[in-house]
Amino acid sequence: MKLELGFIQIRDIQFSKECKVESGTLYVNADEVKDFIFQDDDVKACVKAAHFDIAKPGESVRITPVKDVIEPRVKVEGPGGEFPGVIAKVDTVGSGKTHVLRGMAIVTAGKIVGFQEGIIDMSGPGADYTPFSKLLNLVLVCEPVEGVHQHEYEHAVRIAGLRAATFVGELGRSLTPDETQEFETYGIKEGIEKLPDLPRVAYVHMLQSQGLLHDTYVYGVDAKKIISTLINPTETMDGAIISGNCVSACDKNTTYHHQNNPVVADLFAQHGKTLNYVCNIITNENVYLADKQRSSDWASKLAGMLDLDGVIISEEGFGNPDTDLIMNCKKTEQKGVKTVLVTDEYAGQDGKSQSLADADPLADAVVTGGNANEVIILPPMDKVIGTLDYVDKIAGGHAGSLRPDGSIEAEIQVITGATNEIGFNCLSAR
Amino acid sequence: MILTNNPLVKTCMEGRYAVQFFEDLTLREVLVKARDMVYNGHTLYTHPLAGSVKPNETPYKSVVVSQKPNEFSPEQAQIIAGSIEVCDKFSPQSRTLTRKVLEDFQLIDYTLLSGALGYDAAAGLSNATNKK
Repeated sequence: MKLELGFIQIRDIQFSKECKVESGTLYVNADEVKDFIFQDDDVKACVKAAHFDIAKPGESVRITPVKDVIEPRVKVEGPGGEFPGVIAKVDTVGSGKTHVLRGMAIVTAGKIVGFQEGIIDMSGPGADYTPFSKLLNLVLVCEPVEGVHQHEYEHAVRIAGLRAATFVGELGRSLTPDETQEFETYGIKEGIEKLPDLPRVAYVHMLQSQGLLHDTYVYGVDAKKIISTLINPTETMDGAIISGNCVSACDKNTTYHHQNNPVVADLFAQHGKTLNYVCNIITNENVYLADKQRSSDWASKLAGMLDLDGVIISEEGFGNPDTDLIMNCKKTEQKGVKTVLVTDEYAGQDGKSQSLADADPLADAVVTGGNANEVIILPPMDKVIGTLDYVDKIAGGHAGSLRPDGSIEAEIQVITGATNEIGFNCLSAR
Repeated sequence: MILTNNPLVKTCMEGRYAVQFFEDLTLREVLVKARDMVYNGHTLYTHPLAGSVKPNETPYKSVVVSQKPNEFSPEQAQIIAGSIEVCDKFSPQSRTLTRKVLEDFQLIDYTLLSGALGYDAAAGLSNATNKK
């Protein structure tokens, strides 16, 4: 399957009377975007009010609590549309041509579950810990209708964010991209014939799926309800997987992460050179022990059936998913397939504790995204988009986290994407 | 059988499942209860570290075990004992949680448990609201 991505570089965002992209500037009429968002019945029923704000790199701005980050895109050629099974019809994506508004994102913010949404600082020390401080962010702040249950509201805000991204992405349809890249994987037989001497490698992509508010969706299906299966890497690049969860901010895979998965990008960069990138295996992270066993049995079985030489396995979340990670690793290694794990660590504020909740001698190749317990002091910002009401409560914060002068003392797990477990960040011991 | 210290689980699930509600137990004490049952041969059905909420953040925990003892499983004993070790690794945070935050933590624990059991969490919440 072959996908062409056309990147349209966005260099500025401004509110305006009309919506358009011109010479790298995105002009937004907030009311038009809002009208489009509120055409959805669930949004209408659950969201009392929504307003847009703009946050630019280097500004003294703090966005919190952040729910999701989404890159606006539009399908210009080939089957399907953006976010299939959720916004567009459920047609298979991952082929044809998609335009990407690069350098910007839609950020959804506002309270859902008080303690599990994150912080994006656009400048200062906190900005170094999140990749989203480097983007031009169009922030959608939502407020719930009184009495709406959190899971209903989460759904509504998720849809609102995706609709905003779809609307903005559409503005890039008729533009000529600044840069174009092609991504292609081969069929099983074709790949072996074309790249006979290269090791066959796949990516085992673990999706957070522990329950309401801890979900990921694949073509609109709650990943909790899938058995481990195969997917073309270009499908995940083309919006097939979206985030619907409220896990700790630092290692939550936002929709932006799924669209721009660095494991996929790096495997493509080596495809045909040092390895043959066969496919992605998606699997879930469940609470029920029998489900864990079934899913990890299945993922490792697929790796064996495909005669792979190696897999990269990434997880999402902490604690119980560590068990899935180790089960996937152990069973896949036992099939004779080498594994490399990507995770992050909760090693205590001093970094001295065991990093994962589970371990095995076969897990002997591990890449870490950093220690989420590391403490950071975030200085006050001139402007807050959203509210600071929850800073004392979010995971990694504590009572007294928010100091009287507006600065925050907390663990880096409060920062969106800080220790991302697909490696979408740059924490390093070097 | 659900071992829990989460009042929302009791409200929404009692009657549908066998719920043992321990109002005064801490999260760790619920895990110890589950561990002792697993040591006595009860089957552990749910992972005790469910959710990405750290053990020192949420006060609530629900664990599902079989009502009757079966065969002792060393793997399960390892999972539950390991979870208590993880729990001890996180130093307790001294903070007063507001009612709203406590309710959020109850909700997360309840929805995770519902997901594991295939229970309609939304319907359970509506029933609970009606009961009120």
